[in-house]
Amino acid sequence: MEKNQYDLCIKVLGRLEKSGVLKDVILIGSWCIPFYKDYFENVQYPTAIKSRDIDFLVPAPLKTNTKADIPKLLKDLGFIVDFKGPEGYIQLEHSDLIIEFLVPEKGRGSNKPYRLPQFGLNAQPLRFLDLLMLDTIKVKVEGIEINLPHPANFALHKLIIFQRRLREEKAIKDRNTAIEILKALINKGDAAVLLRVFNSMIPKWHKKVIKGLEEVKEKEILDLLTGGEK
Amino acid sequence: MGVIKGVLKEELENSLRMKSGYERELAKLPRGSLIRKIVKGHGYYYLLLRENGEVKFIYKGKVSGDEIKKYQDAKEYRAKYRKLLSQVKKQIRFLRSSLRGKESV
Repeated sequence: MEKNQYDLCIKVLGRLEKSGVLKDVILIGSWCIPFYKDYFENVQYPTAIKSRDIDFLVPAPLKTNTKADIPKLLKDLGFIVDFKGPEGYIQLEHSDLIIEFLVPEKGRGSNKPYRLPQFGLNAQPLRFLDLLMLDTIKVKVEGIEINLPHPANFALHKLIIFQRRLREEKAIKDRNTAIEILKALINKGDAAVLLRVFNSMIPKWHKKVIKGLEEVKEKEILDLLTGGEK
Repeated sequence: MGVIKGVLKEELENSLRMKSGYERELAKLPRGSLIRKIVKGHGYYYLLLRENGEVKFIYKGKVSGDEIKKYQDAKEYRAKYRKLLSQVKKQIRFLRSSLRGKESV
């Protein structure tokens, strides 16, 4: 299944690139990890279990001239449209992959799906996704250019959300991934980048990151981010 | 529950939902295949389908290009969805048997 899944993912990315969608979205979630391969080069970094979910973060409001009916674009690959939860978030499902579109939740928040008529679907608003948009990197996968959150943003985001997870096993997975990526960044010599990203975050997020690090007793990372004040 | 088991449980939920999804999409497709028969040099279409275990030919006469395309597409999607549905059923069997173990992994 692994190879089929990877090949299918590349086909999806290829179609999204060709239709002009890929330049407007950021690939997030566990699929980022294998795609960070080139960024980390010789540094050991996690090979977390990746699920079938492949998530794309869409900036809201979406300022693009691109028009693409994504469900139609992927239909002949075997993707079917399904609606998640009582809110009716659209997800495109295939036996090897599940595609979802997400937008950062703003203000008081709402469970209502965010309409994306440009792409023929809707997106689920979720908290803290703004953090993933603050710094992004571009990587080439099989000749396809994709936007990914910077690994520092990715790890700090995981460190915040693991505390909000309802499922314990998901929380553990997020927490472990976050710590492993943070350590890989430090080993790569990117401690300054990590500190810059941390310092660019709002105080509310600072507190959550620190709380997460305290919970997992990662004193080395905590000292690096707080200058030893905690 | 361990991390791996948690992931497998979520994947099982996904596979069960997908099974219903593919079954629903298959049910939406028009039934049968269009067959062209030549009678006295003229082509006529019949709808070939199975009903209660019996194969039936239903006379359709001359049909439009759109109708032919509709049945061709349906045939392709039916084959595709059946293949994917079979994959999903295998995943469900595998995931159920993996989750039966008592080890916390």
